Parts: sequence; structure tokens; C-alpha cells
Amino acid sequence: MSATPFPARPVSRRSVLRGGLGALAASAVAGPLLTACGGDDPGGDGKDLTFWNFYGPADDANPQSKWFVDLTTKWNANNDVKVNLRYIVGKEYLSGTVLQTAFQSGEGPDIFLISPGDFLRYYNGGVLQDLSPQLTAESKADYLPGLLEARSVDGKVYGLPMEIEPLAMYYSEPAFEKAGLSEADLPKTWDQTLAVAEKLTGKDRYGVMFETLPGYYQNFTWYPFLWQGDGAPIKDGKVAFDSPAAVQALKFWQDTIQNKVAPRKALGDGGGDVVSNLGSGAAAMQQSGIWAVSDMRTKAKNFKYGIIPHPTPDGGKPATDLGGWAFVANAKGKNPEAAAKFITWALGSTDAEGIERQRQWNTVVKTNVPPRKSVQQAADAKGAFGEGVLKKFVSEIAPTGRPEPRFPPEVYQPVADAIQACQLNAADPGKAAADAAQRIDTFLQTYQGASIS
Amino acid sequence: MKTRGNSTPARPPRSYFPILAHVLALLAVAPLLWVLVSVLKPAEDVFSFSWPSTWTLDNLQYVLLKIPLPRFLLNSALVAVVVTVVALFFHSMAAYALARLRFPGRGIIFSGIMSTLLVSLPVILVPLFLVAKQLGLLDSYAGLIVPSIFHAFGIFLLRQYYLNIPRELEEAADLDGCGYWRRYWSVILPLSRPVLASLSVLFFLANWNAFLWPLTITRNPDLRVIQLGIAGMQGQYASAWNLILAAAVIAAIPTVVVFVAGQKRLVDAMKTTGLK
Amino acid sequence: MVATTAPPSKPPVVARASRRKTPMTRKRREALAAYAFLAPDVIGLLVFVALPMVLAFGVAFFKVDGFGNYQYIGLDNYKLMASDDQLWSSLRITGLYVVTFVPLAFVVSFALAMLVRNHFRGIGWVRSAFFLPHVVSLVVVGLIWQFLLVDKRGAISKLLAPLGLGDVSFLGTPSLALGTYVVISVWFVMGYQMLVFLAGLKDVPKELEDAAQIDGASASQRFRFVIWPLLRPTSFFVVVNSTIGAVTGLQAFDLVYVLTRGGPARSTSTVVLYIYEQAFTFNNMGYAAALTTVVVGLLILCTGLMFAFTRGGRFDED
Repeated sequence: MSATPFPARPVSRRSVLRGGLGALAASAVAGPLLTACGGDDPGGDGKDLTFWNFYGPADDANPQSKWFVDLTTKWNANNDVKVNLRYIVGKEYLSGTVLQTAFQSGEGPDIFLISPGDFLRYYNGGVLQDLSPQLTAESKADYLPGLLEARSVDGKVYGLPMEIEPLAMYYSEPAFEKAGLSEADLPKTWDQTLAVAEKLTGKDRYGVMFETLPGYYQNFTWYPFLWQGDGAPIKDGKVAFDSPAAVQALKFWQDTIQNKVAPRKALGDGGGDVVSNLGSGAAAMQQSGIWAVSDMRTKAKNFKYGIIPHPTPDGGKPATDLGGWAFVANAKGKNPEAAAKFITWALGSTDAEGIERQRQWNTVVKTNVPPRKSVQQAADAKGAFGEGVLKKFVSEIAPTGRPEPRFPPEVYQPVADAIQACQLNAADPGKAAADAAQRIDTFLQTYQGASIS
Repeated sequence: MKTRGNSTPARPPRSYFPILAHVLALLAVAPLLWVLVSVLKPAEDVFSFSWPSTWTLDNLQYVLLKIPLPRFLLNSALVAVVVTVVALFFHSMAAYALARLRFPGRGIIFSGIMSTLLVSLPVILVPLFLVAKQLGLLDSYAGLIVPSIFHAFGIFLLRQYYLNIPRELEEAADLDGCGYWRRYWSVILPLSRPVLASLSVLFFLANWNAFLWPLTITRNPDLRVIQLGIAGMQGQYASAWNLILAAAVIAAIPTVVVFVAGQKRLVDAMKTTGLK
Repeated sequence: MVATTAPPSKPPVVARASRRKTPMTRKRREALAAYAFLAPDVIGLLVFVALPMVLAFGVAFFKVDGFGNYQYIGLDNYKLMASDDQLWSSLRITGLYVVTFVPLAFVVSFALAMLVRNHFRGIGWVRSAFFLPHVVSLVVVGLIWQFLLVDKRGAISKLLAPLGLGDVSFLGTPSLALGTYVVISVWFVMGYQMLVFLAGLKDVPKELEDAAQIDGASASQRFRFVIWPLLRPTSFFVVVNSTIGAVTGLQAFDLVYVLTRGGPARSTSTVVLYIYEQAFTFNNMGYAAALTTVVVGLLILCTGLMFAFTRGGRFDED
């Protein structure tokens, strides 16, 4: 169905204009037709699946890239339907145009990675394949509670998480020593944080750092502070953002800037980039995720740091956000069932090999918390979380965590605007929360799709 | 036109101009010097504000040897050179027609061409991808090259230039029995060297630094152009900034070379006082 | 050189095989030749620019979900715009950016071009130095300025510390971010525009300037009466191109995305960034297309006004 709708290219002088107009008219009509029917044959028995990801095969064949390559090599050796990796540069995959352009023109990948924030968009677009038929009960039960639910609708599972990435506060030992502080000074409450940060802020360093760049990541890192006061943007399908919990959380971030203990702009990749900020001495405390452990190991192995759970407000309870990407299959792809089979094999296998594969991803080539109990056991057996920072992540921090919400852009945006306005523009938190709540409410009234939280 | 009386010597610039120019040049370039220094620092020190504790070539070595940077440079060079040559050829032809020939619809065609300046890539990204796909240009050198050729900017500048060329030369050629093609090829084109030099620098640069279109149209890792290669070193949470800067420094070298070579032509062309 | 004067009006008969010898032949041949010369570029522009543009605009009448599902909704996308506060805000920001950036870039690059048009020692390196910012990729430009402007530790902060301004965060303060972005844009673009001016300055015959000098004209008079008028077409073109670039070009999107991503608190959220968000974050391709038509329409209006105001920039001299 890809007959070209263009008229024959005119070359004679008189028809240059006419041909031009003709082409314009024809294409105005053919446009939608063109886009709707482009692309490969959907559904059925393709034998070559594409797997788009942002890990490999990378040029420098780093361990994470190698894990992906080994994965598909193993699969291809034992299966008729082949899986071919396509590496897309991280930033472009995460917030660029590649996926959208591809899907819009019917050229979407058969298997790909999504973050919780993307889930509803793809689900509501009818693009996600139900993995339940290929997912064994044993496998399903192996996942930690709440993880599969975040990627399910009406009990059907649409994505398998590959990792759990909790957030925590990193602190720099050199910075604390220089300021004459010790472990006893590590803050446990918001007020203590502001006080300690003041002592740590100096000519060349800020006491504490949170993300200031607008985006999904900033929201992701802010939610724990909302949850600590038992707040949430949406509860039971209704907006609940206009609450004391939201106001105090917005104010806390505002205070760090107003008190001049946090920078308005981070270095490198932003607030989550520990190597460029904490590691270079720009910040004494920095909020980031478990991934930074692996990054520091490879890029700044001599730097001494530790982690603490997020500080809490008075009367608040500890909370953190659990991020992590998932494998999903394109329901409109070349062979959705084979794709689903691949995913459940790659991430959900309960045999020794499958568990080992997961253990490698979660503790060897990358550092994060395994989403499955059996993998956790295997990792513990190897002492992966036996001591130090990783032990703290697993024992103290991850248990207080909630999975990253799957808000669609229309909920993400008002919250993001509120955070930005309060943090950087000294807006009144009460008003900002109320404005955001109203916008979310307007959206919810016309929303028709899978449940948001 | 004859010169009057004794020929006037070239006016020396005001005495302070060169000094001012050098100072400003240094200021303009200062931020880039930071890049150079950072590239020679060990990886962890990229963002520290100190002078390098140790000077190291590790970063440069890594990007030249461990990742296929030479391949990316080759791809970029191929695309940039081909696009520049073909585009200048097409644009000078079109500009000649618009400037010198009379034909019905000239005004309309010129306005139409100029109006395409209003459109930039992000605006037409998806439909252009579709068109390219239909034409079979997906994931190929042709896909990188062909759509990048057509841009009205060069047509305008060349037309301007041609409008200012005295007619006598052409009319002489006409008398000699030259057809339009010969006139274009043997008279106009040689005279266009200065402006072609400037344009070739700009076109080369635009294509060398292209990112969005190559990202969209290519999938094969072997087709990656230099900007895609550099971007590939951006991690999910923490990029290898030391490597990115090293690759960027290497990537900048060819364009500087092209510019220096091109702008020298400019100076030479300026020295010839016109077409006498 | 032999000074030839134009031959009399009767066109010479070309000694080649020609079908007819009536005067119409020449006109026809000229037209045919012109179309042949124009063909490659015109066809290319039609296929790769005009056609996608039409397609893009066509989508504005649909609601598109990003996965190939189209739903015709007529003018609804346009009706939505009236109540879209974020849109008006981004239009205002883009407007502010344009009216500060375009004149500033013009003056700076013009001055630089005048500075380096006549030869002096080291002119090659000086020209390259001005052009160098444009040579490095935007990722690097973003990184450079992040580093220079980082709060407290950055070179700029250190320089301003004696003035008590060491704490100011240029890219992190909503009231300062746009201005900072303008300055960085000028730094990035000045070498490029300088090059265009240099090319245009060659249209100014040296003899005229020399003649004026002999007649006793001062430097500023020479500028006003010889250089500036002859440079008008180039100037006009630079202004138009600069405006278009400021609204929809590389600086309007790539640069601001790398520097601030539209923040802080949306103070650098240009209209192109907003369109990009609508298209690729919110997946409202239809609405994004409609917004694009509005922006392009405004650009046409703008350039049309500039055209009329300067009486066509006098680049139709024939």
C-alpha cells in the first residue's frame, strides 16, 4: 500500500508551475493516507524484530552494552525469530524525536524500553502488547509488589521492569570534613538539611543540590517530598494536589534556593549527575539515584561519598521514588507474540540462567535494586548488597519507596510548572499548588483512558 | 571605468583597528580555550576549576582509537563535500537564471524560492521523513545527502552577486556566439569564486554540524556522522564529558581548516579591485 | 581592456542550427534555458521543502495521536489556541528574543566585518577566531556556557565577584535567563553573519570609497553615503535571515534546549520549543502543526512588513 501519489515529475517549462500546484493538491489529500499506510506489514509472523534501546551496541562496548548484545545473541541462537538491536543515543531516546517520528510514520520498533511516565501514552495509543499469555504465574509472583501493577491495566501486564532505581541523598565526605562536620551532622529533617547546608555552603560549593532543569526527571525527584506529607497529585481518580503536603514540599525546595544553599544550575547533565557535581566539589549533598554508584565507580572511583535517606518534614514519613525502565512489545509490530515471548524470556525467566542474567544487570554491569525476589536472593548470596552504600539502598531506602507514577503529560506539566515557579521564581507555593490542581482537574474531566494511578 | 589620475594606494586601516580586532578575537575565543584545556585534563577533573594537575592525552587517544571516530569524520566529510559541491552547482545555475535571464514567471519563482526560507527542519521533520522514505532514501548516504542540498539561502546570495556583475562580459560572450550554458560555465562561474568560497564554507559547516536530520534518516551505525558519534557518548545520567569534548575538538578541526582556506580566497578576491 | 559598448538592439544571428530565425526564438530559447537552469533546485525545493510543508500544514486539521491514528476535526486546533496561555507566553518570549537578538547580532557582526575587511597582520586568525564559536557543535556550546556561568564557581561569577555580583545565576534566574541566552546567541552567530557581510562588502567597489575620500569625505560620511546604501540588500537579507533564525532556526530550539530546556520557570520557552513539546512530549501532532502554520504566518507577515518598510530592500535592482 505504498503507491506514490505524486504525479510524474514535470520537466518542461510550462508545467513546472502546473505540476507544482498539482503535486501540492494531490499531497494535501494523500497526506494522511500516506502516513497511515506507510511502514511494514503489521501483525503476524515477521521473522526479524527490532529492539530499540539506549544501551547497546555502543561504540565502546561497555559492560551494559555488552549485556544487551549477549542477550540478543543468546536468543537468536535458539530461536527462529531474530531480535536485532538498535542503539539510540540516550538523550535522543529519552526526550528526542526518534521514537515519535518512527511511530507516527508506522515505523515503530517491535520491542523497546519505556519509563513509567511513557506508559499511558503508549497504552492509550493502543501500541502495547499484553504480555500476560507468555508470563508464567511463577514469574509473575517473583516480582516485588507494586511493580507489575504500575505497568498493568485491568490485571493485564504490559511491561516487565528491568530494574528498580531508588533515590537518596548523596553526601561528600571531603566536603563534610572540610566544614568540620561529622556523620552525626547528617540531616534527618528538612530543617536540619537547611541548617547543615548553610554550614557547608562556601565560596566554591553549595550545601545541597536538587534538580532545577524542567522535565520528567525533576518531577520524579520531587515526588518523594510530596509523599512524605502523605500528599499525591491524584487520589482515587480525583485531583488532590492542592494540599498542605504539596505546599510544604514546594516550599522546601524554594527555601533551599532562597537561603542560597542550593544552586540554580547544576553542572554536566544536571541534578542527577553525581560525577559532575558532587564529584567535582560543586555540591556537598546531592539528591540522585542508585545508578550513580555505578557511574562513580567507573568515572570517579577515588571519590569518597555516602548516602542517607531523604530527610523528612516534621511528622512526615520517609519516602523515596522508585524509577526503572521496562521492556515492552509493540502490539502493531511485525510479530507481537514473538516479541512478548522474548521479553518474558529475557527478564522474567525463573531458571538459573535467567536469574543470573538479571543479577548481572542489577548488580554487576549496573547498580540498581533487582525487581524480583529470586534475583535479590542470588545477589545477596554473592554479597552484592553486603555492605556500604548499596546495602543501605536495599535495606533502608528501597523499602520506603513508591514506584514512579505513570502520569500522562497533561498531569506532569502542571506539576512541573508549579515546581519550577516555586523553586526558581519565588512563587507562592499555595497559589502554585492551587493553579496546578485546577489544570489537572480540567484535564481529568475529559480524560478517557486507562487509570492514571 | 578608468582610474582617475594617479592610482590611490590601498588605505591602511586606522591604526587601532588591528589591535582592537586582536583583543576582540581573543575574547571571542576565550570560552573555547577552556574546552581545549579541559580535554587535556584527566577524566574526573573536567569540571574542576583548577589548572590541570597532570596534562594527559588520554581523552584524545580514547576517542581516536576506541570509538570509530575516524569513520564518523569520514561520513561527515563525504556528505558535507558532496552536498556543498552539488548545492553550489545547482544554486549558481538557478541564481544565474534568476539574475540574468528573462522568462515568464521569474518573479513568482523567485518569491516562491525565497518563501522556503521560512521553513526550518523541526517544522517539517515528520513529513520530510515520510517523503524520504517513499523515495527510498531511508538509511543511506543518498538520504543524508539529497534532502540537504536544497536551501534558498545560497540562491539568494549568488543572485545578489550576479546582479552586480557588469553585463559587458556576458554580452561579449554573446557576440562570440556562446549559448547560455557556455556563458554560465565559462564566464559567470569563474567570476563567482569569491562568493562561492564564502558559501562553500557555510555549506560545509552546516552539513558538518548537522544532527537532527542524520539522526532521523539513518539507523545503521556505520552511517553515523560526527555529531551523532559525539552524542553517543552521552550517558543516561552522567555523560562522559571528557570524551565528548575531546571528540568535539577533533571534529572542529576540519571546519577550521576549511574556513581558514576559504577566507583566504576571500582576501585574495578582495585584492583584485573588481573586474578590470 | 577593450571597452565594448553594447551592440545595437537587433540581436545577432547565432551561427548554429536553429529552427526559426524570427525574434521569438531568442526569447523562447532564453526562457527554456532559464527553466533548465532552475529545474534542479526548483524540483528539489518542491519535493523536499514545499511538499513536506504542505503535508505538515495539512495535519493541522486533524487530531493526531502519534501512532498513525488521524481524526478530522476541522478548525478545532486553531480554536484551542485562543485560550492557550502557554502559547501566548511563548510568543511573547520569542518576540522579546527577536527584538533584542536581531539588532544586537546585526550591529556586532557588521562592526566585526568592518573591522576585518581590510588586510592587516594576523587577519586570518582574527577572522577565524570570530567564526570559531559557530564551528563547534551546540552540545559543546551549551556545555561551555554552563561551565562559565555555573553559580558561584564559574568564570563569569568569579569575574563579577569583586562587584558583589558573584552570587548571580545568569541561566538560573528567570529575569536574567533570556538576556543571557541572547548574548550567547550573538556569540554563536556573529562569525556567520560577519561572513555574509564580508561577502556583501565586496559589492562596494573600492574606487567609490577612494573617490569619496579624495573628495574629502570623512570616514563616517563615507560610511553613510557609500558603504551603507550599497550594502542595503545584504543588510536586508541578514536581518530577514536573522529574524527567521531567531524564530525557527537552530538558535531558537537547539541552543535553548541545551542551555535551559525552556526554564527556569519557562522564562526561555520559545514558541518553537513549545511546538516541539506539543509534538514530541504531548504527542499532539495536529495541534503542533496548527501552531506551526501560525508561526510561519507571523513570519511571513513580519518579513512582508520589513519588505514594505524598506521598500523592498532594493534587491530587485536590475
